[in-house]
Amino acid sequence: MPDNLLEVAGLCRAFGDVKAVDDVSFTLASGGSLGIVGESGSGKTTTARIVVGLERADAGTVHVQGRDRTGAARGRAARLARARQVQMVFQDPFLSLDPRTSVEAVLRETLKLHFPGTDHAARIRRLLDQVGLGTRAADARPRELSGGQRQRVAIARALAVEPAILVLDEAVAALDVSVQAQILNLLADIREQTAVGYLFITHDLGVVRVVTDEVIVMRHGRVVEAGGTADVLARPSHPYTRLLLDSVPRPGWDPHAIATARRAL
Amino acid sequence: MNTLDIKGLRLRLPNTARPVLDGVDLTVGAGETVALVGESGSGKTLTSRTVLRLLPRGAVAEGTVAVAGDDVLAMDARQLRTLRTRTAAMVFQDPRAAINPLRRIGDFLTESMRLNRIMTASAAEARAVELLDAVGLPAGTLHRYPGQLSGGMLQRVMIAAALMGDPALLLADEPTTALDVTTQAEVVALLTDLRQRFGTGLLFVTHDLGLAAAISDRVYVMYAGRVAETGPAEELFARPRHPYTAALLGSTPSPSSEGPPPRRLAAIDGQPPDLREELTGCAFAARCAFATDLCGREAPSATPAPGVPAHRAACHHSDALAGSRLEGKSVDA
Repeated sequence: MPDNLLEVAGLCRAFGDVKAVDDVSFTLASGGSLGIVGESGSGKTTTARIVVGLERADAGTVHVQGRDRTGAARGRAARLARARQVQMVFQDPFLSLDPRTSVEAVLRETLKLHFPGTDHAARIRRLLDQVGLGTRAADARPRELSGGQRQRVAIARALAVEPAILVLDEAVAALDVSVQAQILNLLADIREQTAVGYLFITHDLGVVRVVTDEVIVMRHGRVVEAGGTADVLARPSHPYTRLLLDSVPRPGWDPHAIATARRAL
Repeated sequence: MNTLDIKGLRLRLPNTARPVLDGVDLTVGAGETVALVGESGSGKTLTSRTVLRLLPRGAVAEGTVAVAGDDVLAMDARQLRTLRTRTAAMVFQDPRAAINPLRRIGDFLTESMRLNRIMTASAAEARAVELLDAVGLPAGTLHRYPGQLSGGMLQRVMIAAALMGDPALLLADEPTTALDVTTQAEVVALLTDLRQRFGTGLLFVTHDLGLAAAISDRVYVMYAGRVAETGPAEELFARPRHPYTAALLGSTPSPSSEGPPPRRLAAIDGQPPDLREELTGCAFAARCAFATDLCGREAPSATPAPGVPAHRAACHHSDALAGSRLEGKSVDA
């Protein structure tokens, strides 16, 4: 068993003339949590989508638990096996769940697809319990749930296949801060209970500080800084990381200085 | 006279058990920046829209909403048009949703001035060029289409459009939420510059406590249609006197606090009360660590902090809380 859960090397992806992802490499340690930070157009989401397999790379490799998943999967079994390695939680819980399907049916469908021929009732109860949803929520349809509850359902669905890696793409960005804190705490609990690794895509440096051990900062498709999260946030070495940190509003904040620094960069 | 003076605003919607706005008092002085902070469903956006009487269908409003001395709720159609084109203006969250993509920026900027015969077409165009310059865009922007501009540039256009009628009051509803953080800084720098230059009062609606603290003179924190706490920005964030404000501060992850990051955040359990349920007592009681029987029985009225009359909180237990800022405290599981 290799030490690294995920190894990404020399990833490239261009859309027309735009290099969305330009020679990106990183590793995610077993049970670790890695943040990818950047603004719109930095390539962070494209990178995540390549790791999941929703987007193909022009060059570079992605290995999960030592297995190469760069090329297209051959056949249904191979596709399902890949899906069991990496699962994704999307930003908008209002768009990522089928409005006609109850919570219980969402989970049952996933379990039936991946583990056919077994009884799922007990597993569904355990999953709901794990994400802090009562059995009453099992019969609910998405519109009867709040944004935070829907995101819990999305997390339960992702955990159902016992993935090695959970890719969270701005998974708490659309939530109110009090609900966001509940979900971040839930993610901390899940990481303690299971050995799942997180790849956490976010623009929010406060969030990245709470949920990740290591971080890479992306800009224009390239990694401009990488390191331990606490280190990078306390002692940023790249001017762009510093600009991002300075841009977070706080008392005594000087938006004019940031605007000037942004133009200089 | 205050630029904006809201007194006892109560707003009822059809099929709800309680008012969606419940006795809101709020003022914005001339040239003052006031932040209105709250989570989804707190009533912050509805409060700002009431200032332009942009009310949902079937809404019934009580109280007074005076802009530059005139009650918006009592205006006839003509007075309302003057209010919306000249006295007050709004910048919305998503500029792409607020601008017609098929028409040029110049059209959009000058439309309300031309249609309401406030300026001639050429005077309106001259004003538009002047304001584009003030927000840092070239005059050539007039001839471009919204699809040719970035989100940050388009939000500048929105701000220029809002200033066309030289309003006394600018309402900004999450104007930077859809923007990247570095772009947000530019837009905020612009808003503060313009406020100084044109003496406009600014009501800034946001869910971002850090942003509210950074830019405003005074802050109102709303919860479930009521003002939970209000006061000078620095005072309110350093020494919150309402458990909800304190809890919000505690659940906001900061990128730069001292020491190791908290393993868990001080989350607020539960959810805000449903509009279909009546409320007795304090709206926050069910989620509050300080709540007693009294809180369930009696809605607290706003009381001033000792020595700081402008800092008021609607809480029975403010004194138990004073100075106990929760931020950064990690909670052991």
